[in-house]
Amino acid sequence: MGGYGDVQLLRDDGLRLDGRKLDEMRPVTIEAGVLPAADGSAMVTHGLNVAVAAVYGPMEAHPRKIQRQDRAVIDVRYNMAPFSTSDRIRPGYNRRSREISKVTAEALESVVLVERYPRSKIRVEIEILAAEAGTRCAGITAAAVALADAGIPMRDLIVGVASGKVEDTVVLDLDKAEDNYGQADLPVGILPNTGEIAFLQMDGDLSPDEYNLAMEYNFKAAAEIHEIMVDALKRRYEGGEN
Amino acid sequence: MVELVPTLLRQELARLAEDDLRLDGRGRWEGREVTLETDCLYNAEGSAKVVMGGTIVYAGVKFELRTPWPDRPAQGSLMCGAELRPVAHRKYEPGPPSPQSIELGRVVDRGIRESGCIDMESLCIVPGEKVWGVMIDIHVLSDGGNIFDACGLAAIAALRTAIVPAQRFDVGEDYTLKVKGTPIMASFTRVGGRYVYDPSEEEELGGDERIHITLGDEGHLHSLQKGLRGVFTPAEFAEIFEVAHLRCTELRELVANQEGN
Repeated sequence: MGGYGDVQLLRDDGLRLDGRKLDEMRPVTIEAGVLPAADGSAMVTHGLNVAVAAVYGPMEAHPRKIQRQDRAVIDVRYNMAPFSTSDRIRPGYNRRSREISKVTAEALESVVLVERYPRSKIRVEIEILAAEAGTRCAGITAAAVALADAGIPMRDLIVGVASGKVEDTVVLDLDKAEDNYGQADLPVGILPNTGEIAFLQMDGDLSPDEYNLAMEYNFKAAAEIHEIMVDALKRRYEGGEN
Repeated sequence: MVELVPTLLRQELARLAEDDLRLDGRGRWEGREVTLETDCLYNAEGSAKVVMGGTIVYAGVKFELRTPWPDRPAQGSLMCGAELRPVAHRKYEPGPPSPQSIELGRVVDRGIRESGCIDMESLCIVPGEKVWGVMIDIHVLSDGGNIFDACGLAAIAALRTAIVPAQRFDVGEDYTLKVKGTPIMASFTRVGGRYVYDPSEEEELGGDERIHITLGDEGHLHSLQKGLRGVFTPAEFAEIFEVAHLRCTELRELVANQEGN
């Protein structure tokens, strides 16, 4: 985390700089089936973040050494577009995107019924078009909707959400300023129906009580986002289109 | 790639071409519907989204302060790059930039650069010390055919809406980037033995060589490129050049209308 300095992140009336309550998330919109070339796709806007996910497959897994005899492998690439941030990002893979891709793949392998597709590969491409703190969570949510859109069987959807701490106060869904100057960030991937957690990262400083409150906020937000995900998938298939 | 599908597709496209028909029912010189959206990306200083049938492309403009090249101390720079990431189609593999994506970026870059629509001297802040570098990054999200034209259109539309972020870099007030002209690309692929405008994904898969023509406001040529295996006659070029002129004018109007809104 950027550290706790002189930056004021909570207003005198107790609300946050953008007027949100402590346990209020930024607005989320989701659309399924946005990319004609993909087998499944979704676009998620979460505050000012824009994440697009495409799913290809299941397809033959190669090189052969990545094949698993008893299940599919999920190949995730999380990538930030060069124009997604304030300073341009040099195109290409970096350490941050490699790590996020790895843990996201492992989270998705925990919800997809990978044993249905031995020796195959499912490609999940996550592209961040605009970034304002919380892109990995928006990416996970987009990937889950894209997988469902591709008709790939899953135990549950998975929702990406984060809580954190600013000015010694636990808040839901950090924005850019809160992420830069806050004291902790706890992004998770929640299975809304089973209540399990498939993705977990954290950095900063949280007491056990603060952790519990942050997680409580995360579960509350996950339930809200889950409804929006289900609604997006229903709209995709109820509309009569495709 | 399995060769079987293109072979059957090729036969079907050749059969349709005998009656001058296309797989999706379009006329030979007819383009797909194009939608253009600008100022659609937070954090980019200029942006555009183009949808052309199954093709979806975004372009974003960013600025950097840099020291000028020693031989051009009073000129800024323009760079345009395209990424054909695996998100766009199952045929694209991860890895370093492919020859196709390099070709794509460079053809779009040439059309914009050579049209002279950006005055490089206007990008100079302190001669010999500080100039603006303008970077146009093109992101193909879905390849449904003819990504060249979609990328060219997204790039120029994004550039035409760009705001120079001078304030953020402490070199004065923000201002709108001055862009003189709207270079537009028109692409043709040989399908079933004859050229068609705006090839679809299937037409590219079962077609042959392609020709890309970028025209400026006055109808002058600013970039030409022939890609893939095949040859063409001067008469064939004369025919598509006339079509390019018409289609480019229409797309230029689309950009102007978008800006008028």
